[in-house]
Amino acid sequence: MSPILRIENVTKDYVGHRALDDVSMEVPRGSIYGLLGPNGAGKTTLIRVVNHMTFPDKGKVWFEDHEITEKDIFNVGYMPEERGLYKKMKVGEQAVFFARIHGMSKTEAIIKLKGWFDRLGIADWWDKKVEDLSKGMAQKVQFIITVVHEPKLLIFDEPFSGFDPINQNLLKEEILGLRDRGATVIFSTHNMESVEEICDDITLINKSRNILSGPVDEIRRKAGGNTFQVIYSGDREEFNSIISGKADLIGDTEGLIGGYNQQKIHIPEDSDIRPIIGAINEKLGLRSFQEIIPSMNDIFIRAVNGTL
Amino acid sequence: MNSKIRLIIEREFTERVRKKSFIIVTILTPFLLVLCMFGPMLLIGLSSDSAKTQKVAVVDNSQGQYVGTRLESDDKVEFSLLPSGTSTEEAHMRYARHEDFYGVLVIGEDILNNPGDMMLINHGTTSMGTEEIIRNRIQGILRNERLSRYENDNIDQILADANIRVNIRTMEVDTKTKNGDGIKASSTGASYGLGLILAMVIYMIIIVYGQQVLQSVIDEKQTRVLDVIITSCKPFELMMGKVLGIALVAFLQILIWGVLILVFSTIITPLVLGNMGIDLSSATQAMSASGSPEFAGIVSKITDLSYLSKLFISMLLYIVGGFLFYASMYAAIGSAVDTPQDAAQFNSVLMIPIMIAIYAMIAVMQNPSSDMAFWFSIIPFTSPVVMMARIPFGIPTWEIVVSIAVLYISFVIMIWLAARIFRVGVFMHGKKPTWKDLGDWIRMK
Repeated sequence: MSPILRIENVTKDYVGHRALDDVSMEVPRGSIYGLLGPNGAGKTTLIRVVNHMTFPDKGKVWFEDHEITEKDIFNVGYMPEERGLYKKMKVGEQAVFFARIHGMSKTEAIIKLKGWFDRLGIADWWDKKVEDLSKGMAQKVQFIITVVHEPKLLIFDEPFSGFDPINQNLLKEEILGLRDRGATVIFSTHNMESVEEICDDITLINKSRNILSGPVDEIRRKAGGNTFQVIYSGDREEFNSIISGKADLIGDTEGLIGGYNQQKIHIPEDSDIRPIIGAINEKLGLRSFQEIIPSMNDIFIRAVNGTL
Repeated sequence: MNSKIRLIIEREFTERVRKKSFIIVTILTPFLLVLCMFGPMLLIGLSSDSAKTQKVAVVDNSQGQYVGTRLESDDKVEFSLLPSGTSTEEAHMRYARHEDFYGVLVIGEDILNNPGDMMLINHGTTSMGTEEIIRNRIQGILRNERLSRYENDNIDQILADANIRVNIRTMEVDTKTKNGDGIKASSTGASYGLGLILAMVIYMIIIVYGQQVLQSVIDEKQTRVLDVIITSCKPFELMMGKVLGIALVAFLQILIWGVLILVFSTIITPLVLGNMGIDLSSATQAMSASGSPEFAGIVSKITDLSYLSKLFISMLLYIVGGFLFYASMYAAIGSAVDTPQDAAQFNSVLMIPIMIAIYAMIAVMQNPSSDMAFWFSIIPFTSPVVMMARIPFGIPTWEIVVSIAVLYISFVIMIWLAARIFRVGVFMHGKKPTWKDLGDWIRMK
């Protein structure tokens, strides 16, 4: 399937610094796409380029099969990191206003909005003023405003900040639900746990450049570098001689309670792991043989520090 | 009209009109205005109504000049002449502290030749009004007395003859008569007053509502509402929606004020005055009957329908054009900054042409047909205020047409420029832009 969004060698300069430097990425249709990177890396600029809020100095942005136009922006729902709501306006009226600005009719807007308000448990707030809401409450309203007109592409900037764990889960479920109903979701976040849980693909931007892109599973496996953790009972020397020539030891062997030993090993990419497992199992008591897959948190830190 | 612009206008309008502050200001302002206009009249009426007759004891030391005996009492001041020979001290002791008496008037020995020799002793609260009455009475007596020394039989006639009041009847050429040689009554005073009021109204609208446009854009930028809206509508639509929405609020407010002022001045004021025994219509009739030319001029002006409609139409055109011209600049500034503090610098620069317009207007009204007057009413920065002040004096229609044409062409250019700043400015956060930045944004592709 063709990607819904393709960013092609985009460069954006501000006075005195380059916010985006030759960034390319592809967002597959129907995926949940994580846009990661340290503060000030250029994520928000990238989102703004997609939203037509600013224009790239070089490069192109493609939406579906054509270069993105103003019309396509109406198919993009955007929730900025710093939430934007009229403080003095009533929640319901405000939501209807935004839904209509996004092209819905008044009746349709009210029906759809009431549905969302019920689902997120905030139906009672319809007539409250935004300034009377807590941060989390306002966040929910903002979320509904972003999604109510059912845009094809949703962009959330730090959607989980300001939510308690219960509401974070609620929001995660809703985002997955939107994806299942056909929307594509891009979200920028620092919360690596949520990336592992819901993202299909990611792009990691650091110092204005795309330094890592791809499906989450693949990235994690690659970052693991074919390292395994073996726990066995028996002689350490014997273990080392079995392994020698087939794999490299990483670090020292640790003794564990119950006489077990634990050892990290690296197996070359092209070799089969089954003979190694077989050999260990034959001579020693093999308790555990597990591939080490680094967390997104590790990957993030290593990638940003240039040690991946 | 584009449905997005309409939505933004609708929101801007309803949110503002529903505010308590709008309702209060809208209702209170004309009330205060009428109070300011008629308040002094009412107060004078009330205080003169309640004022009781002041008793003044008179010690007349000018025996033989008979000033004291000639002081006539009326319902305001009652003079009671103390028997001759009463000393000042005695009168002072007896009457100056007496609560029925306002005070003691002591007339000097040679008051006729030494008019300053007079004293009013009183126990505390002096009243300007009473003092004035006493002074006028004495003055009148002394003047008559001195004049009678000339022993001229015709003295009364001479006096009446010399006592004249000069009035200039201002007439203006009535362009509607065939040869343009007809004239009609005019009034410089009325033109001046009317011009001043109209110009000030335009000035207030530009400042007050222009600031609201500025504030509204800054608010949306600060709360990041702009980021959400802008994904769905063009910056130009947003800017026009805001400017027009606020213009509608201004329009509604002026309409309500107009109606309320009309109601106050045609129904309520005559009622109040009537209750106080002041009959407005008979006063009006009396004034016209007395042939006051100034009054005739005013009446001729405010009853001339074509004059009034010319005034009203140009007022409307200048309010709309002037407001849109300035409001688009305010919108551009609002879009470029993050906080009202940052806006102050640009705002004060924008105030300069508006202030110049006010100063020019004051100068122009001294001579509404000067070259300076002409040019200030063509330049769009000053024309709404200056021209509006001039129109009541009677300005050739072609001048008004040129001025309005220039204003509207400039406002289209200004909106275009503002929109170019706006579309970049709304996304700029952080650094306060310079004038040069604004120029760069205009040129930006």
